[in-house]
Amino acid sequence: MSKKNKEKRDTTAVYNEIKLDIPKGEEWTYQIEGLKAPLIGKSVENAKMKKVLVVITLLIAIALSIFFSVRAVHSDTYTFEQLESGWQFSKFSNPGDITEITIDFAEGDKTKPISSIREYAFNCDDKLTSITIGKSVEQIDGKSFYSVWNLRNIYVDKENAFYCDVDGVLYNKDMTEVICYPIDHDAYLREKAGYEEELWRDSEGYDDAYIEAVQTYRIPETVVKVGELCFNYTNLAVIYLPEGLERIETLAFFKAENLKDIITYGPGGEYKSLPETLKYIGSDAFTRNQQLTYMFIPASVEFIGHHAFWDTAYKEDGEVKGVAVMNAALSEEEFKAKVEAGDHWLPSYDYKLLKKTIDVNYSAAREK
Amino acid sequence: MADIKNKAVGFFHEVKDHWKKPAEGKYVPYREYKDIFLAVGFNYSGNKTLEYIVFAASCYLMMYHYKLPYLTFSVINIINMPLNYIWTMMTWYIADNLGFMPKKNERKFYAVYMLLIVIGVAMIIFDPSMLFNQNGRFVTYINSLEGINCSSAFKILGTHILWNGWFGARNIFWRKKLVPKYGRYKYSLYCNAIPKCIMVILIGWVPFYNIPDVITRVWVANLMFAIYNLFPFDNSLEMCAQNISPNVRERIWVRTIPIKLSHFLNSIVAILMPVFIGMLRYKWEDINLFKYIIPGFFTFCVIVTMVFAGRIKERIPQPPIEKKVNISFWDGMFGVMRNKYKWVNTIVGLIDSLGNGMLPFATILYLYTFRLSGLIYSLLVALVSFAGTPPDFFAPYFLKRFSYKQLMIFFQLSRAIGNAVIVLALVFLGDRVNLCGTVCVITLIFMEMTKTIPVTAGHDMDIRINDYQMYLSGERLENFSGVFGWFTGPITSFVGLIIPIMLLKYGFNSNWEVLFVDSSRIKIIVIPIIIDIIGYVLMTIPYIFWDYDDEKQAKVMEVLKAREAATNGSLDGSSGGEDLQQDEETPEAAEYAESEAVTQ
Repeated sequence: MSKKNKEKRDTTAVYNEIKLDIPKGEEWTYQIEGLKAPLIGKSVENAKMKKVLVVITLLIAIALSIFFSVRAVHSDTYTFEQLESGWQFSKFSNPGDITEITIDFAEGDKTKPISSIREYAFNCDDKLTSITIGKSVEQIDGKSFYSVWNLRNIYVDKENAFYCDVDGVLYNKDMTEVICYPIDHDAYLREKAGYEEELWRDSEGYDDAYIEAVQTYRIPETVVKVGELCFNYTNLAVIYLPEGLERIETLAFFKAENLKDIITYGPGGEYKSLPETLKYIGSDAFTRNQQLTYMFIPASVEFIGHHAFWDTAYKEDGEVKGVAVMNAALSEEEFKAKVEAGDHWLPSYDYKLLKKTIDVNYSAAREK
Repeated sequence: MADIKNKAVGFFHEVKDHWKKPAEGKYVPYREYKDIFLAVGFNYSGNKTLEYIVFAASCYLMMYHYKLPYLTFSVINIINMPLNYIWTMMTWYIADNLGFMPKKNERKFYAVYMLLIVIGVAMIIFDPSMLFNQNGRFVTYINSLEGINCSSAFKILGTHILWNGWFGARNIFWRKKLVPKYGRYKYSLYCNAIPKCIMVILIGWVPFYNIPDVITRVWVANLMFAIYNLFPFDNSLEMCAQNISPNVRERIWVRTIPIKLSHFLNSIVAILMPVFIGMLRYKWEDINLFKYIIPGFFTFCVIVTMVFAGRIKERIPQPPIEKKVNISFWDGMFGVMRNKYKWVNTIVGLIDSLGNGMLPFATILYLYTFRLSGLIYSLLVALVSFAGTPPDFFAPYFLKRFSYKQLMIFFQLSRAIGNAVIVLALVFLGDRVNLCGTVCVITLIFMEMTKTIPVTAGHDMDIRINDYQMYLSGERLENFSGVFGWFTGPITSFVGLIIPIMLLKYGFNSNWEVLFVDSSRIKIIVIPIIIDIIGYVLMTIPYIFWDYDDEKQAKVMEVLKAREAATNGSLDGSSGGEDLQQDEETPEAAEYAESEAVTQ
């Protein structure tokens, strides 16, 4: 700051220096140079016209605002976009009474086959129970069915060359990737198994048979990848993973709060752990699954995303519950050398107003 | 050392001697300082606790338990917007007259408000949408809006009408009956404390969030929160304490010691609350937060506030209502519109609205990127907000060395730069949570530190704008400044939809947990911040036209002094500004005196 400016900003000096010679009687009309003239006790010029102008401007502003705002928040039941690759099904806004839809042609026009489904196309819908994918659909984003709370089944047209379904669960055509297990699929299984109502852990009649029929899923042996958000929010208690599975993507089992057993099956039998072929565990893959009690990281794992097991451990009655200890097949040195682990991949629990990360049991033998 | 000891002993004796009886020339005994500290502190803390319960997307109760679609809040605002203009004008008239109107007008107002109550209740109970063709364009169109249908839209509108009818009628009654008895500041507290406690408890305990149909959940939640909002627990005791003494110096002293200390009490509360929340099994989304912690904490704050509120006295004699200068609506309106500097502020506010609808990104960073909770969360939040305190001590220096224009342009640019750094950190370091977090927190601290002085400058600028208004119109016309909002309101309400609509596209609707999806979280935070950055850069432009410098302010004060002298005949036109400040007994004069004390 220059000396000149310093002087300029010396407010005290300014206040002391400024003295105006205001003629007597002109106190209310005296105009300061560089400022507007006071207007006291008088009306503004052309007051009538100005009033009309103000009212009209205001009315137009309000009307335009409401018009454009209502247009902006309004959305058609089905929204499509034409992309270079074809028509995209981009958004579904349920007017409240649609429970089943088929995604085949844009605007019902058979010359506009839908080739892709955008991410979050059905976001947070709570009415849909069934979605049928038409034969022309070539690309589905893993996040398309996010938070479709009552979705029981996703069916795929048998002629579709890219996707298929197995009893309402979405797969790619060659069955190497499971894409979406609908959030309320257990309601469908319950109905199929003849259960009239949903049972909870403390309900009467909640037994192994119920778990087997309603809360258990066996991923086919051809599958090598569990897709992003695939089993999120599901009511599964037991999941069978195939020996040969290589990737569990981001948030794949996010908040599957009843999931207590992860079992791998293969030619050599079954074991309670992640598959020995698994290489990749995405971020938040098992977040908030507090029913899990045993976790074993096989020697094959090369990548663990950040917060992969976040909030799977918690403290209750002074005892650490959930995944209280992480078991790893590799020794500590081997693990650190081989595995690229993201920040906070290990769960932590409340400890004296702070957080404490659980221990890792390196060189652990897998539980039988 | 001995000097300090002597001063401490002297201060101790001063407090002891004047614990119950104030010193000569003063009005407030030291015992009342203690009452102010506790009453204002807990009033403020209670008010702060209520920030956890709002009818908005930022509230965990709304998003985790009620699961209301994000865009629905904007839809409700649009439904209510046109009528708001009418309510504003009516409330304006009553507020300006403090409830004392000619009998005839009062009766008319009561009649209108009662009619509104009846219409509102009828719209909620009955279904006016049945009067329309259910397959017609109007009903179909309304049904397509997010989270509502035609029937619920009428109930929401009915709730708005009922609320304003009830609020208006009660306002006249309360102001007329209670202002003379309890003063201008405390009556609202006395009336609202108990109903507010009841509503806070009910909100946690009544399980409306279990209603399966989202459309019903929306209008029921809207109605419940409308009732809840009928009983504000504003920080009115701070206002009361700020105007506690006719002695300007004593008023500043009260503002500096017990009131500032009471804010410290609030900071402790702000730290404690997340610690309690961190002890819950499901943390922020645990319903027990709304069932036990918030009601318990709030009720405690209310009890302490009410115990000490009665001991704070309002000592400034208010001018009699009949002597109140009445300015016609149009004169007031055109008066403020002639003030160029109010336009500058209005345009700045308008550009600032580009960021409306944005989620609280710092909270998202803490909770979804860094997954903080409990004490660590509290300490980090406290650290960031405390970063703004040390620069406060340097405010006089900066205000003296730099012009308001320079400070405000620096402020906008510093926010633009800070946000740009956060964007870069999130985009390029997103996966490396610890590093990304460190960069973001350092940037937030930098932004908090660079905010303090411009905020003080902004406060001073507002005071000077009012002085200039006084010069222009002979009155400060503070209430009439609201007319700018009438013009900007329609624009901001539309502009405020840009971000929510974009967020909807990126997956943010009624399920906050989408923020755990890295790719979506980055878009949800980054894109609105980029819009905000553009806003900050644009906001520098209006300030280029800010040419109201010290010289002009000094001249304006000269003119005002001359007018004062001409009116009262008691002041020599050539006397110093101190006389004017000393003799003025309005809160504005105290503000002015304080700001000048800081500046000089």
